[in-house]
Parts: sequence; structure tokens; C-alpha cells
Amino acid sequence: MSHTQTKSAAYGQGVVVFIYLAVLTALEYFVAVTFNAVSILVVVAVIKAALVMYYFMHIYKLNEASDGDEHSYDYKTGTNRIGLWLFLLSDAFVFAGLLTARINLLGLTRPHLNQTLGLAVTAVLLISSFFMNRGETAMAHGDRKGFMNNTLITFVLGLGFLLGVVLVEWRLAAEEGLTASFGNPAVGPMGAVFYMMTGMHAFHVLTGLIFLLVVWNNARKGVYSEEKHWGVEAAAVYWHFVDLVWIFFYPALYLIGKLVN
Amino acid sequence: MKRFISSALAHGLGWQLIGTLLGAGLITGIRALMGLSVTDRFFFTEPAWVLGGFIGAISFLFGSGVTSDWMKWARGIDTPEHHEDHHSGWEKYVNVSLDHKVIGIQYTIVALALISIGGLFALIFRTELAASQLQFLTTDMKLFGQNGPQLYNTLMSLHGMIMIVSILLGISGIINYVVPLLLGAQDMAFPRLNAFSFWIAVPGAVLLLSSLFLGGFDTGWTGYPPLSARAPVGMQMFFLGVFVAGWSSILGALNVIVTVLRMRAKGMTAMRMPIFVWAAIATSLIALTATQFIGLSFQLVMFQRLFGMGFFDPAKGGNPVLFQHLFWFYSHPAVYVFILPGLGVISELLPVFVRKPLFGYRWIAMSSLGIALVGFVVWAHHMFTSGMNEYLRVPFMYSTLLVAIPTGVKFFSWVATIWNGKITTPTPMLFVLGGIVVFLMGGLSGPPNAIVSTDLHLHDTYFIVGHFHDTIFGGFVFPFFAALYYWFPKATGRRMNETLGKLHFWLMTPAFFVLTFGMMYIGLLGMRRRIVDYDPALGIDSTHLVLTIAGYLIGLSVVIFIYNFFNSIKNGEKAEGNVWNSRSPEWQVPSPMPVHNYDQPFEVISEPYDYGLEGGSPYVKFSEPESGKHQ
Amino acid sequence: MRHFVIVGILVIVMAVLTYVGLDAAGFATQMNPVAASAQAQTIDSMWHWEIIAMSFLFALIVAPMAYSLVVFRKRKGDNTDAQHIEGNTALEIGWTVGPLILVVVFAYMGAYSLGEIRRVDPEAVVIKVKAQQFSWTFEYPEYGVVSNELHLPANKQVLLKMESADVIHSFWVPEFRVKQDVVPGRVTEYRITPTLIGSYKVRCAELCGTSHAYMEGAIVVSEEADYDTWIAEQIAIAAAAQTPEGKGQLLTVSKGCVGCHSIDGSPLTGPTWFGLFGSDVKLADGSTITADEAFISQSILDPNATIVEGFPSPSVMPPYVLTEEEIANIIAYLKTLK
Repeated sequence: MSHTQTKSAAYGQGVVVFIYLAVLTALEYFVAVTFNAVSILVVVAVIKAALVMYYFMHIYKLNEASDGDEHSYDYKTGTNRIGLWLFLLSDAFVFAGLLTARINLLGLTRPHLNQTLGLAVTAVLLISSFFMNRGETAMAHGDRKGFMNNTLITFVLGLGFLLGVVLVEWRLAAEEGLTASFGNPAVGPMGAVFYMMTGMHAFHVLTGLIFLLVVWNNARKGVYSEEKHWGVEAAAVYWHFVDLVWIFFYPALYLIGKLVN
Repeated sequence: MKRFISSALAHGLGWQLIGTLLGAGLITGIRALMGLSVTDRFFFTEPAWVLGGFIGAISFLFGSGVTSDWMKWARGIDTPEHHEDHHSGWEKYVNVSLDHKVIGIQYTIVALALISIGGLFALIFRTELAASQLQFLTTDMKLFGQNGPQLYNTLMSLHGMIMIVSILLGISGIINYVVPLLLGAQDMAFPRLNAFSFWIAVPGAVLLLSSLFLGGFDTGWTGYPPLSARAPVGMQMFFLGVFVAGWSSILGALNVIVTVLRMRAKGMTAMRMPIFVWAAIATSLIALTATQFIGLSFQLVMFQRLFGMGFFDPAKGGNPVLFQHLFWFYSHPAVYVFILPGLGVISELLPVFVRKPLFGYRWIAMSSLGIALVGFVVWAHHMFTSGMNEYLRVPFMYSTLLVAIPTGVKFFSWVATIWNGKITTPTPMLFVLGGIVVFLMGGLSGPPNAIVSTDLHLHDTYFIVGHFHDTIFGGFVFPFFAALYYWFPKATGRRMNETLGKLHFWLMTPAFFVLTFGMMYIGLLGMRRRIVDYDPALGIDSTHLVLTIAGYLIGLSVVIFIYNFFNSIKNGEKAEGNVWNSRSPEWQVPSPMPVHNYDQPFEVISEPYDYGLEGGSPYVKFSEPESGKHQ
Repeated sequence: MRHFVIVGILVIVMAVLTYVGLDAAGFATQMNPVAASAQAQTIDSMWHWEIIAMSFLFALIVAPMAYSLVVFRKRKGDNTDAQHIEGNTALEIGWTVGPLILVVVFAYMGAYSLGEIRRVDPEAVVIKVKAQQFSWTFEYPEYGVVSNELHLPANKQVLLKMESADVIHSFWVPEFRVKQDVVPGRVTEYRITPTLIGSYKVRCAELCGTSHAYMEGAIVVSEEADYDTWIAEQIAIAAAAQTPEGKGQLLTVSKGCVGCHSIDGSPLTGPTWFGLFGSDVKLADGSTITADEAFISQSILDPNATIVEGFPSPSVMPPYVLTEEEIANIIAYLKTLK
């Protein structure tokens, strides 16, 4: 595989992109608590999504001509990449459907949720994406150790996000009145929408975590190399996709619209 | 029998049963610990059945062994790129195979089985409708915990969804078998995913059918809440079955798109692909994306039932009309998923039997994409009377009428292809021609439903029933039969019996015209959809009797087909050469097709349908075999 | 050239024949069933244009196909291919633009006819419609009248404000042509101007459960004078119904009970009420119970508690939340049904 960048340049780029994303997230939060303009929130989310898709998920690689005959690893990786992106496109429709339901049922209102926690889990997921990107970069430069360390950090952060949402946030939301009791966790569309959106996203985080474990374990066994590490790339792209979904879900649940309860 | 018990299919089904019991038992145990009720009308409680059904479907996949290579990959173990099939004869088809041709045939067989079941259901309720008043589905009778009218509703609803699933499997069958051959590829891009897509449909179909025995459901295939939120537990099995079978469609579509993008033979540019490949692409684009919406809409109702989440419950601030939007966003494009491959078969076969190039290749190719894209923005024409925002009705009427334009291009191009040809009419061609006329009737009876004012009358009547049976028969059933008769020699090296084929056609076609025209007729007179009984004052008893007889004739014709199909595998006339004198690559090599398709790769050197070109070259040129390394 | 002329003639002949055939079946100039509202006439004329277009387009495709199949058959012994014609861009553009024009014309006509149907008369008579599994109830708020028959004055616009108590139903009178779903949680509107005096039926057109097929209600369109007489009668009945039996009877209409329970002994979805009170009722489990106050009260509040022999289990009847007084009134009414 030919490198367009040195490892340190790629690391540096990751830091810069991460700073952009962090600033945009702060801006989002600031807009939401001050003058709450939906259009700005949508624009910021789209910019964040574009940054993640280009710099973390490397969408441009879809366009790369792969050399060699049909049986070369390179050509197959190109084929796999298209397959993965088509799968993500399909999956994106699930989340688009959930967003549609949210807009239809809640309109410009939002549930009463713990803002600090929301911002915290969003930050955790964003930082995990940063480390995921670092891990993939390491593997692409043949640095197995670097990959394993970074992936481990990603995994821990991802687990933190998952537990933060499912154990803490769901309980807090329940206390805020989004629920009645177990077995009947959602009364009214606001609770239903909140639990379904975060639940479906959490399910994807969970599968992403399993995927990370698998590639981490395979890296430990020495399956991947500088030239051949499609599994790592796939896990990374999937992880960033999970982040991408949250880029839209976070404002949709926490920021947009008028608070009601 | 012993060999069947050791097959992947038997293992899968066994594990599905075990998984179902384990999942249901788990929930039952938890409920017992929590002091909740543990049994219900159908033994397990509803949450237990849902988790059981879900775990059962997953257990099927692991049990059948279709995921075993992936499990090895996850543990860092490499597997060989191609598996040789260890089985021969019928055993090949009940075991996991990675060969796209075997998978194509597996899809086709399951599709035929489901068509037979769905057709049987249709005959049952068609018999009930032969006269007004209740005949045998009376309120006194009791079967599977349902009385007559309830059973009618269940059978009618299942007829819809089983046929839809069988159509999805049928098109997957044809696409799987044919597309790699047309492209000159050795297999699909992801053979394991391909096998997975097929095998996941089997537990899906089992779940779907199980709803009949768990109290059924009385909502029609659309499953509109709030009615579906109140139906018996069979409703959940139906939702789960559709959800699982939906993944078959999604993953299959993904595979087709990647295969076409990456595995074409040398020289096969976009405008030199066989036209059927264009249809496969268009249909896959829809199936890949929109299918998620029906899964999601059903999932939301499932959760509404399980946890009281009020998405569509007006008492909790939910919106029943939202369901219809989510549902139809898939379910309208879905009909284009059903018909586009069929229209592709028509375009693919016509030139062969009229010995003329396909008229306006580019226009036909683009019209498939056009239909697919317009199909995404017409869904609300199913909801003109639903109480959705009134101002949405006119734009959706406009977008729906636009579908007429690419469809019209196809019809006119077909007529121009036939014009001045040298036409022969063996069985496949008969079904192609029948398909065109039937689809035309479906197409022409469409605009009255698209135009809001007339739709206010026609909506939810038998006019609609007649209309969509025309589109589906013309767009899928006729071309599907044409494709089976046409490619049967390729798969088996034998031809299907021509006399029985013609009998099949001449029995089915007139009966079908009578059936759908009669449906439209009584629909206009006031016959509503989905009713077990009708008012004798409508004066449509005799028409209904005729429709029932027509229905039986269609059933008889399909029985003849199935006999012909299975009998010809062993006893058909040998046909190993280019039976139809086609230019297409798969017919340039002997039948049946070798295991790894073409021994030598080919290169595309001219247009696919250049029939009648003086001094023209063949479509494809095979490389010379390398000396000393033959095969 | 000769071929084109012949086919041209064939197309015209076939189009005319198709149209004449559809007309003979009663679906062109005179649409069946009879049009009984102003809106129906608008819809029928739209439909008529559609039939003309359908007849023509059907012939346009089928005639050349049929002609080709007869004339351009492969001759015996001829093994050559046909003429090599790949396409014709002018033709393709032609049959893209031609249908486009037709589509635009029909889109305009469709929007126009929809506008006609929805034309609002501010003087329209407002009637409330309540749909429930499996019956229709009509309320005339101006007069405080409730009925399970819909009486309408001819040649006056009526605005139905429709609500559903349970699932989605659809209000359809084939003779009126227009159809509108009745959705729980919202009020949908249905505007109609009946023009033809007569009796019709509203038929539920959205699958709503087991007895959906029987969810029909009577509609009577009469001269305004007859309509006024009917209203006056209903007011008188309502006024007279200050007794418990009268109140009970009104309740069974407004709650939709009589959609499933007949009062004359005829079989409907549910057991008849005729002679019910005090009689011995055979249950599905084989036992017998006397239809006393307790039994009837329980059957209203929890229809699943006991299932009468010959009726589906679980019951298709939804539980009704009524006060004790209301139930007592209904029982008083049931006692009169002998």
C-alpha cells in the first residue's frame, strides 16, 4: 500500500480534525442554550458529519482505482469497501426513519434531559473516534502495538458511552418523567421516541464494541499487516459511522426545539 | 431420510425450534421471578414468543452452518476462497452452498413453494367468496383459535405477505442465477453473504407461517395500527417474519450492486451490459435502502405492543398516520422491486425471439433507473383518503403520474422491437408477450388510482385488487415463468415439455384476464377489499362465482407447471447447446453450466443484441485456453 | 408504409371497440352504480376521460403487437435474422414527450376535479359521525339527536365530522363515490352534496377487525321536507326518552351497541337482545346462566368474562366503561325487548 502521508502527518491531521469537531460541538451547545436556531444546528451537524466522513471514514477511498487482477488483496479490499458503504447506506435509512418519526411526533419540542450528561457522552464518543482514527493510522503504517493501544482506549471510551447512556441516562430520563415503571418504560411519544432512538443507537455501539474486540484480538494474533488490514479498516469505518449517527441524534434529542415536560 | 436429517436445512430447523424454546423459556423464567403471568392463550406469553422467535431465527443461521466461515474469520482463521460442494443431486440444495447457481435454484424452489402456499390460501378464501353469506368459514367453526371470519382475515393477510416474500425470493433466484453469468463473473462478489441472504429467508418464512397457528392476525398485509396493536400474538410473528425476511432482500441487493460494479468481464462498459443487469441494479437500489423502512415501521409497532411505547397510539399522543408514511415509503417502491426484474426479463428475451436488436437500449436502461427513482417520491398516493395533510395529495398525484413516462418508454420500445421482426413463439416468448399485455392492463388501470378524485372512489375496493394483480402478474409472474422456461436448459441441460408449457400458458392467461377484469368490475360496483362476506344487494354473486372458477383454473395451470418443472429435470428432452440461438454469453458454452462457470474468461467485443447485423461480430469472445493448463 | 397504415386503422378500430365495450359494461358514459351526489358527477366525468385515454393507449400498444405477431412471424425454413434496427432517437423522444403532455393534461384535470369535489359551502349542515367496531353512529348537534341511520336532505351540502373510538375505519358510500378514513385521535371531514333521493349504505372500507364486512349503516336521502319531519320525530323520541328505558335505548344507539346486537331476534355479530333478559343462556363452556342484571352488567364491562355458545372467543366486543346508572338504564331497556 502506498502512503500519501507519513505517519506523523496523519496523526497530526487527526488532531486538527478532532479540534474542529470539538469546537463545532461546543458551538452547537452554545447555540442551543442561547438562541436555539434550528437551521444553525442542522448546518453544524452536517459539517461535522462531512468532516467525519472525509477524514475519519475516508469516503474518497471508494473512488480509488485498485490495481491488480481480481484476485489481489487490493482489488478485493476495494470490493469489500463498496459493500461496507452500501451496508452503511442501508443502515442509515433506519436512523433516517427514526429521525422522521421524531420530527413527526415531537416537532420543535424536546424532552427534559440532563444536558451535562448529554454533552459528556457526546464528548466521550467523539474522543473515541479520534483514538479509533489513530489506531487505524497506526496499523496502516505497520505499527501493531500502536493500533492495539489506541483500539483499547477506543473500546473503553465506547463502553463508557454505552454505560453512560443505558445505565445513567435512561435512569435519569425515567426520573424526569419519561417513564412510568419497568415493563412500561415509555408513556407518550416523547419517552417512546427517546428510548427507541437511543436504544437503536446503543445497539449499534454494542455491535461496534464487539467488532473492536474481534479485530483487537486478531491483531494480537498478528493477522493484520501494513498491506493487509481490511478488518481493521472495516471496524474503524463502522465505529465512525456509529459516531456519525450520534452527530445527528445528539442535537435531535438534546438541543433542537423547545423544552417541554 | 438419513441424508436429509444431516442436511443444513434440517439442522437449521432443529436449532430454530430449540432456540425458540430457549428464548421463550428465558422470558418465561424472568417473568416467573418477577411474579408476572407466565402462560397465555398460546402457552407462552407474547414477550416470550417474540424473543423466542427472534432467537430461533438466529439459531437457525448458526445451526445451518452458513455463518461458520465468518466465525472462523472472527477468530483470525483464514478459509479457502472457494468451497467445493460435497453434495450431489438434491442434497446440494438442502445444504449450504456458496455457488451462486445453486443459491439461485434454492431461492427459486423456495419461491415456488411459497407461491403454492399463498395460492392455496387464495383458493380457500376465493371459495368462501364464491357466493354471498358465509359458506364454510362460519362463526361456528374453530381452527387454530380462530373462527371463520377471523381465519379468513388471517389467510387473506398471509396471502399478501407470503406472495410478497415469494416474489422477493423469486427475483433473487433469477438475479442470482443469471447476473454473474451475464457478467462473466465466477460468482457473486460476496459468496458467503449470498448464502446468508438465502438462508435467512427460510426462518423468516417459517416465522411468517407460524402466525397462522398463533391466533393469526386480522389486519391485512399492511398491519396498520391501532388494529395491529390489538391483534393476537400471531401479529408479532408476522412482524418478526417480515423483519427477518427483509434482511434477505437487503443483503442480496447489496451483493448484486457490488457484483455489477466490480466483477464485469473485460470490455463490458455500462452501455454494453445485458439489459437485465440494468434492471437488477435498479431493483437492488430500492431494496437496499427502502426495505429498512418497513422493518422499522413493524419494529415500532412490535415495541408499542411489548412496552406500551405510544408511537402510533393516539391515546398516548402517537400518530397512526405516521405508520402509514413509514410503511408505504418502502411498500410502494417495493412493487417496483417486484416488477423491474420482470420487465428486465421481457427486454432480455424479446430480441432473442424476434431476431432483432432491442429497440432503444439506452432508453430502456435509463427508464428502469427512472422508475426506481420516481418510485421513492410517490408513496403517499396510498394515503389519499388516510386523513394526512390535505395539501400533500396534489403533489403526490403529480409525482405518481410521472411514473407513466418511463413505463411508457418501455412499452413503446418493446412494440418497436417486435415490429418487423421474425417472430417465433415458444413457451418463454408466449409468457413474455402475455406479460406485456397483462402489465399494460395493470399500467393503464393505475392512473385512475393516482388521480385523487377518482381514487377517492376506487381506494380499498376490488378495483385496486384487480389493478395490482395485473401489475404483479404482468411485471413478475409471467416474466418469472418466461425466465424459468428460458433458462431451465441452462441449469439442467434439459428442456421443459413444450406442450405442457403451452397448456400452462393458454390455461392461465384467459383465466387471469377474467379474474382481474372481474375484480375491477365488482370493485366499481361497491365490492370492498378484505371482506369475508358481501351484501347480496350489490348483485355481484354470479361474478364472484366466475372469479372463483377462474382462480381454480389458474391454480390448475400452476400445478401443470410444477409437474412439468420437476418431471423435466429427469425426463426432459436433452438440450445442451444454444437452445434459443441467443448471443448472450451463457449460451455460448454447453449446458448445464460448469461449477465455476466459464472455463475461459471472455471479453465483450460488440453490442449485446446485434441480431441481424451483416458481418457483425459475436457479443463476447472467449480467450484461448492456455496450453497444458486446461481447466 | 403499408404496414403503418393498416396498423393505424387497427389502432383506431380497437380503441373504439374497447371504449364501446367498457360503455356496454356500464363504465363510460353512464357509470355504475348510480351517481347520487354532486361530487359523484365530477368524479364520473373525470373517470370518463380516463376511460377514453385508457381505451386509446391499450389499442396503441396491443394492436401493433397483435399485428406483428400475425404478419411478422418467422417463415418455415427461414433461418436468417430480422432487420438490424437499433433504435430511433426521434421516436424515443416522441414517446417520452407525448405521454408527458398527456400526464400534464391529466394532472391539471385531476387537480381541477379535486378542487370541485372539495368546494366548500359555508351553509353546510354539520353532522357528527362516530365509528366504532363495528357500527356507525350519527349525531345531529343542532338538534341533540343521535341515530344509527344517517338521514340527509337532498341538494344541500353536508359536512360530516368523523371520529373513531378504536381503530381506523373508512366512510364510503359507493353511490356518493367519495371515501374518507376515520382515524382515532383526530377529526376527519367528509363533504358531500346528495342529489338523488333514495336509500344507500355506508360501508366501512378500511379493514377494522373480525366483523369488518358487516360494518354497514343505512343512509336515507330525502326531500328537505321529509328530512325535517324525520328530525322532528327524532327530537320527539329524544324528549320522550326521559324514562330509564328511553335513556337506555338512546345509549345503545350512541354507543354503537345495536351495530352488533339486533333487537328483533335476527342474527348479527353478537347475540340478539330480543327476549334476552331473564332467559337462560347457553355458554361456550357448556354451562347455562340466567341473563339477569349481574350477567348483563358483567358482559358490558368485561365481554370476555363469559362467551355465549356459538360466538367467538375471545370476544370481538371491546369492553365498555359505563356508569352504574347507565347500565341500569340499558337493562331497563332490555327488559322491554320481548
